[in-house]
Amino acid sequence: MTGPVLEQVRAAAPSAAVADGDGLLTVDVEPSEWVLAATAARDHGGFTFLDFLSAVDESDAMRVVCHLVSPAPFQHLMLRCLLAADRPTLASLAPLYAGARWHERETAEMFGISFLDEAGAVLPSPPLLLADGAAHHPLRKSFLLQPRLERPWPGAKEPGESDGDVSSSRRRLRPPGVPEGLA
Amino acid sequence: MTVGLGLPGVGEPRGAADPQPVRATVPGGGSYRLWLYDVGLACCAVEFVAATLDGTLVDQGVEPYAGTPDRADVLVVSGTVTDKTAPAVRRLYDQMPEPRRVISFGSCANSGGPYWDSYSVTKGVDTVVPVDVYVPGCPPRPENLVDGLRHLDVLVAEAAQP
Repeated sequence: MTGPVLEQVRAAAPSAAVADGDGLLTVDVEPSEWVLAATAARDHGGFTFLDFLSAVDESDAMRVVCHLVSPAPFQHLMLRCLLAADRPTLASLAPLYAGARWHERETAEMFGISFLDEAGAVLPSPPLLLADGAAHHPLRKSFLLQPRLERPWPGAKEPGESDGDVSSSRRRLRPPGVPEGLA
Repeated sequence: MTVGLGLPGVGEPRGAADPQPVRATVPGGGSYRLWLYDVGLACCAVEFVAATLDGTLVDQGVEPYAGTPDRADVLVVSGTVTDKTAPAVRRLYDQMPEPRRVISFGSCANSGGPYWDSYSVTKGVDTVVPVDVYVPGCPPRPENLVDGLRHLDVLVAEAAQP
């Protein structure tokens, strides 16, 4: 993003701050300025294409990540914002990018983040990948895979290790995603 | 009662070493040409298709592609059943006429397979529909489908014994 465009985004969303994003231009904004920042990026920066939108569970907060692309000149923009971990809500980008709802619905079912329409009402998000009526959000860190708690982890390095072999000198392998003390 | 069906074909009469028809006996007697309906949900479906390519199944009195479930005798579930697709599999089963049989083809359909700890994969299609024959393998070889059908034939014939 060229300097003037960043200025435009800052003018629309004063909270916008450039963050370290592993080479990609990454801008953090406050949730209240989410749509404003995206609008400025689209209208003044040429970021007309929404590549993806997803989230990261950072345990104490939910971070929504949105990758925008400007086709010509070709540029990336990673737009991020941090939401409270309990009942996270964010305004939908669907009025700006027609494809945004698909990503938002996936994010809603995987992370339990509600997306709001322009009037502030929660947009309906029937599950895309989970069974209808599923109440769990599998990509949250607090979500544990029940079979991993109940069975020995098969991903052992040595034979016999995963069978719960107590004579093994090695510590019993803890399945990924299962906290200490539960497995 | 098991009745052999005449095989369509040309040329020399078949010998004992040639493939024999799969003869399924229904309760009440009689034998019929088996029509399969494949629910191909993942890569096992490729093995199902491979089993149908050389005419082995047709030679043995099996029509591999029933086209619609309402004229199918055997539902073959080949692939990963998810909680999202499970109702659709159930609906196909419900649309099949009696007597109907189910073959679970491959590890995923049998038990969830490599997705045993997944949050979205159904741990075996037998939680959705009753399964008669489980064909193991990840994926099973195409010949295993023929083998599974033979097992089903034996099961059905045994069940029909007075």
